[in-house]
Amino acid sequence: MRAELFIAWRQLWHRKLLNGIAVLGVTLGVLTLIAITGIMRGFQTKFLDTVLQISPHVVMFDTSLGQPAPVVDQLLGGDRRATRIVRQTSTDRQRRIARPGETVAAIRALPGVTAAAPLVVGSAVASAGSKTLPVELRGIDPAVQDAVTPLRRFVVAGGFVELGGAVDGAMIGYQLAAQLGVGVGDSLGCVAGQGERVNLRVVALFDTGVAGLDKGRIYVPTRLAQTILGRPDVIDRIELRLADPDRAPGTTTQLEALFGYDAESWQETNASMLGVFDQQNLITGLIIGAVLVVGGFGILSIQIMIVLEKRRDIALLKSVGYSSKSVLAVFLLEGGVVAVVGAAIGAGLGHLVLTAMRSLDSASGMGYSRPSTFAIYERPSVYLMAFGFAVGVGLLASLIPAWRASRVEPVDVLRGAS
Amino acid sequence: MTAAGVPALEARGLVRDLGDEVKTRILHGIDLAIAPGEFVSVTGASGSGKSTLLYLLGALDRPTEGEVLIEGQPTAGLDDRARGALRAERLGFVFQFHFLLPEFTSVENVAIPMLRRKDIAPAEARRRAAAALTSLGIGELADRRPTQLSGGQQQRVSIARAIAHRPRILLADEPTGNLDTAAGAAVLEIFERLAQGGMTIVMVTHEPSYAARAQREIRLRDGRIVDVVARAAAPAATPAG
Repeated sequence: MRAELFIAWRQLWHRKLLNGIAVLGVTLGVLTLIAITGIMRGFQTKFLDTVLQISPHVVMFDTSLGQPAPVVDQLLGGDRRATRIVRQTSTDRQRRIARPGETVAAIRALPGVTAAAPLVVGSAVASAGSKTLPVELRGIDPAVQDAVTPLRRFVVAGGFVELGGAVDGAMIGYQLAAQLGVGVGDSLGCVAGQGERVNLRVVALFDTGVAGLDKGRIYVPTRLAQTILGRPDVIDRIELRLADPDRAPGTTTQLEALFGYDAESWQETNASMLGVFDQQNLITGLIIGAVLVVGGFGILSIQIMIVLEKRRDIALLKSVGYSSKSVLAVFLLEGGVVAVVGAAIGAGLGHLVLTAMRSLDSASGMGYSRPSTFAIYERPSVYLMAFGFAVGVGLLASLIPAWRASRVEPVDVLRGAS
Repeated sequence: MTAAGVPALEARGLVRDLGDEVKTRILHGIDLAIAPGEFVSVTGASGSGKSTLLYLLGALDRPTEGEVLIEGQPTAGLDDRARGALRAERLGFVFQFHFLLPEFTSVENVAIPMLRRKDIAPAEARRRAAAALTSLGIGELADRRPTQLSGGQQQRVSIARAIAHRPRILLADEPTGNLDTAAGAAVLEIFERLAQGGMTIVMVTHEPSYAARAQREIRLRDGRIVDVVARAAAPAATPAG
């Protein structure tokens, strides 16, 4: 193989311009792959990390899955009833999770569950001065909830601990605070349809990076939320944190079977976004694949040209003893070297691009917002994938010209020459 | 080593047809035996089958009928790899066009056939290549590329390439066809020196004066041997088998 490598390398070097163009094609392909993957997957990873921190892995709602069969049906059988029940569910009874204390304790005992927190959630209206905004009001036990969704780390002003200690304390999103014109220590009014209007004292501001939450969510202690929402003693959902978020769908099924309430995994909650990610990944893959294939065609066309040009040299090599396999190896090595060099340069440039992107602001900070930079996904596996793909494409592209070169019959060329 | 009495090259009933749909018979049953150390020239008009015969003798081509034996070894059953190995070890080729690889220096061009052989180390290949160039009087051109050489020098490099691995048989197809008179004469002197050293040489040529310097001249017409002229005592050879 040393002779084939020597010949391949020298031939490549002799046509620096042509092979440089082929190298450039591969370089662009690998650079595109690494840069786009780094940015796209960086955004996706950041989003999912945020989702998995600020959102529970599983939520069990107060919606009962199984309706008991009507009493008439139970007694007489479904086909023989003489009455028709128009409405089975009582309207004067609020929906709730029965015996929430025992239920939460039972859930915490399930394998894979690291924390479970009861809460009540409802729509309300927050007002400060002349400004009034719709909000989602969440009644939580701060210490318990922090184990499920670590709110503490998103606090950008005030103190999370004070939320547990104050009877009228509220933690609100920093964007909501900005819109209402309030800060830590200020008061704001909060009212819901059936509840009482209560004055809340802002004890903390949070910034999750998710606009929907930062603009429209208020956390208050559970008892206070129940008062505002007019739902005393009601717990309408239980949120869970799992050791392995990927097991959320299985836990969801388990909860529904055990407790009879509807449950939802974080994957179901974010299904639309995950679907968008899938589509993004598909489109990105197609673009990257197309760029690399174009790079492969560059190698293919240049190699075909070289093989045509070098028919005499190939004939000479074969006449002095080089086999068809040796000639095949020479041209495959040339394609391989072009791909490896192109991939190496592309990987280096890709790293530089990602490093530069990492230091750029992705959005201007507002108010209490932390400085936000591009989230970059940069792993050895991406480089390995890019390298493998490029070398694969390079070898595949040089296979046809190499095979054609190996098929050259020296005597045909010698006859033509003479 | 060739066994005593075994021809260096032997052709038995060689027939060669060319063309895919319309076949043209180039050689019509050639029988020929060339003794070890013999210097043979092959002459004839264009299209008489000289080069075709040379390619068949050198295992570069396969006959339509008949067989070729190299130092007593039949070549018909050899695959591509085995034929390549046989050429690399036992034969040397010189063509009308030097066919030097433009990316390599003279010494590298000469060494290339030896680089694929496992029994010759790269350093030894280079040493032999340099020695071959020196023996042909162009040792100082070792590091020049083909484009930096004259036609005669290029052809000398191609002869060095053909002999550096010390083959016992040299096949030359119009080696002087592309050279001026002086350069052509120099090539003939080299061939005569190699023949005196015991190398078997088969040289195809148009040039009667060069053909006359071989020990035996084989004249072809329309794919048949029409005359054999022996000019000097050739080593004894009997057909193998």
